[in-house]
Amino acid sequence: MSALHYENLMTLSVRINDEKVEVKVPPTLSLAVILRNYFQLTGTKIACGIGRCGACSILLDDELVNACLVMAYQANGKSITTIEGLSKLSLDEVQEAFLKQGGYQCGYCTPGMIMAVKAMFDRNPHPQESDIEEALAGNLCRCTGYGGILRAVKYVMNQKHY
Amino acid sequence: MKGNIQEKEKRIRPDGVEKVTGKIKYLTDLSFPNMLVGKVLRSEYPHAKILSINTEKAKQIPGVHAVITHEDIPAMNGFGLVTPDQPVFCVDRVRYIGDAIAAVAAESLESAEEALRCIEVKYEPLEVLDSPEKALHPDAIKLHPQGNICHKASYKKGNVEEAFKQCTYIIEETYELPRQMHGFIETEGGVFVPDEDGGITVFAGTQHGFKDRFQLSRILGIPETKIRVISSPMGGSFGGKDELNIQPYGSLLALKTGRPVKIHNTRVESVRAGIKRHPMKITMKTGVDANGKLLAHKVNIVADKGAYTTLGPAVLDFAVEHAAGPYMIPNIDTEGVLVFTNNGMSGEFRGFGGNQVTFALEGQLDRLAERLQMDPIELRRKNLRKETDLGPVGQMIAPTDGASLVLEGVSKLMNTNRKQQDEQPWIFKGTGIAIGMHGGGLGKGRIDHAGGRLSLAKDGKIEISFGFEECGQGLVAVIENLTISELGCGKDDIRIVISDTDRVPISGSSTASRSTNMVWQSLKRLKEPFMKMLYEEAAELLKLPEDEMTLGVGGIWLKGRSDGPCITYEEMARKSEKELSYTTNFHFPITPTPDAIPGAHFLYTFGGIKVDVEVNGLTGKVIVTSIDHVISAGPVVSPNGYVGQIEGGGVMSLGYTLLEEAKMIDGKYASENFDTYLMPNIVDVPFDTNVYAIEELAEGDEYGPRGVGEIGTIAIIPAIAKAVHDATGLWINKLPISPEELLNHMEQKGMIPWVLNKM
Repeated sequence: MSALHYENLMTLSVRINDEKVEVKVPPTLSLAVILRNYFQLTGTKIACGIGRCGACSILLDDELVNACLVMAYQANGKSITTIEGLSKLSLDEVQEAFLKQGGYQCGYCTPGMIMAVKAMFDRNPHPQESDIEEALAGNLCRCTGYGGILRAVKYVMNQKHY
Repeated sequence: MKGNIQEKEKRIRPDGVEKVTGKIKYLTDLSFPNMLVGKVLRSEYPHAKILSINTEKAKQIPGVHAVITHEDIPAMNGFGLVTPDQPVFCVDRVRYIGDAIAAVAAESLESAEEALRCIEVKYEPLEVLDSPEKALHPDAIKLHPQGNICHKASYKKGNVEEAFKQCTYIIEETYELPRQMHGFIETEGGVFVPDEDGGITVFAGTQHGFKDRFQLSRILGIPETKIRVISSPMGGSFGGKDELNIQPYGSLLALKTGRPVKIHNTRVESVRAGIKRHPMKITMKTGVDANGKLLAHKVNIVADKGAYTTLGPAVLDFAVEHAAGPYMIPNIDTEGVLVFTNNGMSGEFRGFGGNQVTFALEGQLDRLAERLQMDPIELRRKNLRKETDLGPVGQMIAPTDGASLVLEGVSKLMNTNRKQQDEQPWIFKGTGIAIGMHGGGLGKGRIDHAGGRLSLAKDGKIEISFGFEECGQGLVAVIENLTISELGCGKDDIRIVISDTDRVPISGSSTASRSTNMVWQSLKRLKEPFMKMLYEEAAELLKLPEDEMTLGVGGIWLKGRSDGPCITYEEMARKSEKELSYTTNFHFPITPTPDAIPGAHFLYTFGGIKVDVEVNGLTGKVIVTSIDHVISAGPVVSPNGYVGQIEGGGVMSLGYTLLEEAKMIDGKYASENFDTYLMPNIVDVPFDTNVYAIEELAEGDEYGPRGVGEIGTIAIIPAIAKAVHDATGLWINKLPISPEELLNHMEQKGMIPWVLNKM
């Protein structure tokens, strides 16, 4: 009979939403699982588990990544921003836009989608249609048909008076 | 021209801030102290005998607290919303790849998975019936005691054979529609918490908490009153979470271990176990006279049920009902058969059989228009139902001119001077239109209870309670908007209570596009008695005349006064010793026609679509470049929700038309995750979609706003197919539209001369 083979645990040391934390985890455990199960940061969702839907999108050292594809050892020493970190004092302008423009319905893709939109604007404040397509192609939404999401993106652009 | 409802004032949804901040707790996000992880072992074969099940080794795995099989079910080993023929755990036979055999609860996911690997099941594989044709063969092995026909449905009027003799043109085609995945982003799951008294609290998404409670009671052998179901928010359902999924396993494990158990399907588990849209093969023969008057319509529908009944019979009834859609055809002969196979399991899915049959019906109209050399809109106009005409199966329906309104709406959107792009000669542009109708509610002969409750809670909040669920469709916004507008109170005065069987009245399922309409109808019934109750109480408390009172923001106001309420809701709740609560129960409106076929509807929503497409002659890929929806569903209650439902439904069906097929090979899914099952992403959709709402209802209509949850998914399918025909000349009979078929066609037609020139 096979016994359970737990990997040797590592100490993962990261900054999550500007807070330094440490936790003992298997080195190959997915960051999405760590955020949800060890830190109760359940705004990061897991829907496909293979990096195709973007529901677990977070910023890792300001880069947009699928947290389900990042293993603990790859995140070590890095800085993580999740959806919970986006609105510590007040709503981020992207969140505000989603709220007003109906950029969500069931809301399950929304945290990942907002992180992707946020990452796009951080990198490129003047996105063209093709930029928007490229930036958001990795995030699936089954409810909105993307109409409300596109209106939210346009709203952010209009708010910035571009 | 832009959609006409985007400029209206929009209130932020009550669940909005929580959703955009990620703070909202879906039921799969919950954790409880001492919680175990549950996992379900599902079949290795689509069809096999089970010779033995041995769980001894699995029970020895460290951290495992329970391994259960059919032997551990206290009461009934079966579930299903109407026919409980799906085993909770299989005993001696598996019929599809998602059939459950055992379940485990363990302290960690790793232990649970290891335990699943250690359960030894011996199978004897049986022949896989992977098509209705195979299953209907007289020698085919029986999948259920009654055989392989799950259900038959039909509707007949006039004499089609005689009528075909009078026809100038007859079109006969067979349309094939695939299996589609719901693709909700949150997979099935939840937490099951045992109570000290032998009861259980079920935190799991469903579209009908009370029906889950009823089914769980039969399985667990405990009274319904000891089961509390908390059933939303949900990360999408689209019909896919209406049937029980993981609830029986979570509940059994929690009761067995005495500890909270969480189950959250992986995507692969969800794909294997979950229901899908019924694949259908529809043969339609439709005849028309020289003037374009439809005379005869013969329809044959064969639907692939998969392994168990689910809501399949109702889906087939719906397809039969909608086979003639909004057209008046004097001679109709529609027959449908629903066939058990080993192809996964089909069930309820947004559109409910209307999508498949409307693709075929509108395809027939377009082909006939071509034969007649008549404008497709004109052909439709000639045959359309009028405001007081009977419904599609000869039943009386609520008067509505929706069909004509959406057709004329679409007609206005047609741009007559289209220009073909010259710079890219390999891109072919096309435009298509189609219309469709969709019945709301469960229909004739089905129990379809509705209701709701208004109460003044002890803390002074006006509680509005329904047994409906928030699946993402925006129900909470509908409830808030309607309650405020009907009562005249403020947003902060109310508290919405839904989806908790211990706290809400029975109000039927959140399905069949019925919830918005039922909230509106409930409020009409609740409003007067509840307000009267408050006025009487206020009059007694304040010694003021009740006929001078009116409900307002913050409390009860005296008419004509603007300095504030004469009594606040909070004061009122504190001072009153009475229970200020009023409940209503009623039935969804049904057709008065006594002999209407089962499931025939009374209230309908109508939708028209215009799409533009570009077909790439190099790749065969179809890009939809614009979508316009014209919807007739009565007043818009929640603008963002309305637009979102229509646009989202449209894109879901765009996926069905162009991309999606949950293909099965020998009874196994060819795609088990989103890497190979392709749903539309932002690149696949046009950046501009317009939704035009026709809000007028027939004069004297007393049924209020109709649901829009499904109508956006209907007409877009044939509209895209017609646009592809417009672009290339190819009539599509099988979805999803195949690039290979398009390329072959375009090559044969010599449509890409620049390629030929190079040769």
